[in-house]
Amino acid sequence: MSLSRIGSLALLALLGGALVMGLTTSASLLGMFTQAVIYAIFALGVGVLLRQNGLVSFGHALFFGAAGYGMGVALTLQWMPAELALLAVLAAIGAGAFLIGLVIVRVPGIAFGMLTLAIGQMAYLLASRARGLTGGADGMGIPWPDTLFGVPQATLLQPATLFMLAWALMVAVTCALLWLLGTRFGAVTEAIRDNEERARFIGIQTTVPRALVYALSAVVTGIAGLLSALNTGFVSPESLHWSASAITLLMVVVGGFKRATGPIVGAIVYFLFKDLLGEWATHSMALFGAALIAVIVFSPDGITGALAKLRQRLRHGPLKKGSHP
Amino acid sequence: MTTHYVLQAEDVAIHYGGVKALDGVALTLEKGQIRGLIGPNGAGKSTVIDAITGRRRLTRGRVLLDGEDVTALGAVERRQRGLSRSFQRTSIFAGMAVRRQVELASHRMGVADSGADADAVLEELDLARLSHMVAEDLGYGEQRRLDLALALVGRPKLLMLDEPMAGLSVKESHDLARHLKALTSRWEVSVLLVEHDMDVVFGISDAVTVFELGRVIASGDPASVRADARVREAYLGSAA
Repeated sequence: MSLSRIGSLALLALLGGALVMGLTTSASLLGMFTQAVIYAIFALGVGVLLRQNGLVSFGHALFFGAAGYGMGVALTLQWMPAELALLAVLAAIGAGAFLIGLVIVRVPGIAFGMLTLAIGQMAYLLASRARGLTGGADGMGIPWPDTLFGVPQATLLQPATLFMLAWALMVAVTCALLWLLGTRFGAVTEAIRDNEERARFIGIQTTVPRALVYALSAVVTGIAGLLSALNTGFVSPESLHWSASAITLLMVVVGGFKRATGPIVGAIVYFLFKDLLGEWATHSMALFGAALIAVIVFSPDGITGALAKLRQRLRHGPLKKGSHP
Repeated sequence: MTTHYVLQAEDVAIHYGGVKALDGVALTLEKGQIRGLIGPNGAGKSTVIDAITGRRRLTRGRVLLDGEDVTALGAVERRQRGLSRSFQRTSIFAGMAVRRQVELASHRMGVADSGADADAVLEELDLARLSHMVAEDLGYGEQRRLDLALALVGRPKLLMLDEPMAGLSVKESHDLARHLKALTSRWEVSVLLVEHDMDVVFGISDAVTVFELGRVIASGDPASVRADARVREAYLGSAA
């Protein structure tokens, strides 16, 4: 996709976000939207790994929770100003994920998923047991400073501000991914995903690009973790738990992983679903599970895949095979 | 004047323990020539290709490309020097658009204008109109041509094709054969062709080499090979 096209889509998306913010009068509804958008960014991270590497992670909550804990520890121990800490946490997550990636991306299929699950659960147990600094199972509060990038906390924590901040970051992450994956780096990772042997034969080194995608997906998920830490001012071992990874993976599958916007659609659908169910929400996982089965059976490419197919059918008539963007 | 050979394989042997998969094979190929390799299953045809491309280590012998000894080089270095191949089983990048993968392959071969190179190859193989299709949505014949396109980027000097016609309809095979014949003359690329379809092999080859049990039992122009008594007995049987 060309840069000007990405730019105009971004502008349109930002306007859409502002519209949602303006039209939503209920603060609690806006708070729910903010959470949906934070999970959409989380899901973008899981989705890019699936799309570019063909790898399913059951442990991405590791990077979501690590971002919160990283901020909590850095601010509690007063290592550095909060603004710097935000960048340092993301850099550390990227570097750490790259090193982990160098080892685990060589492992194919289900074994990769199990490794990510094991690593994620190790972090969960560590955070639950380490009482001293992180408060163990009770979690820890994050001592955000009074101003962040010059903005007073009171302004920043307004539901409307938080929503717009999360929305803008989601749009920025989507655009950055669209741009990056359109470059030759994107092509290289697709080639490795599709046919490792032939990729090697045309002279592609296959481990480093895959580890880079793993690191990229971790950083995207880390951004979601930082937003969540800002939103709630709190981080607990639950944010590292494998069930958080699994729910996000469901969002990616339901939304469709082959398209950049699929994870976003999946996250929004999931939260709307949960909200609409109201008092039935305790059964939401059962209903969402049923929806998941329906999607996998009727449209393996998720909601966005089904929409694209529908659009193509309306344009060209039925049964025409074609390319997806 | 001595003939200039694009490829010289001299006394090539590959032994696995006591099994002699190849045992002292010699092959030459002139510029723009198509040489067909035939022989019963297990005669060593695919192994010869693996030996020349560097996929398998030689027990003995050497491989020269344009007079340069490439025996010690790996498969990727040989490919960058112009020694290319296609695979017996279609080996493409299924989830990528056609042009995107051909352009990537060209770039990795170190071609400066990889976009123009990719377009030329796609044009040559009648794939230009499918540039934006995702490979898995193509028909089988088109996928085989895409496989060939990936092998043709960077204008290789030598192209080795391992059963390119396998699984194609009669019409598709003849189309592919026509493309191959046109390519060799226009791009001056030499072709080593392993193929079971005898009509195709004898129809487009300038020379034919016959293998049996890891050795060459006959080599020459198609007519003389067809007439060779040993070949008729060993391979072509009573049908020829």
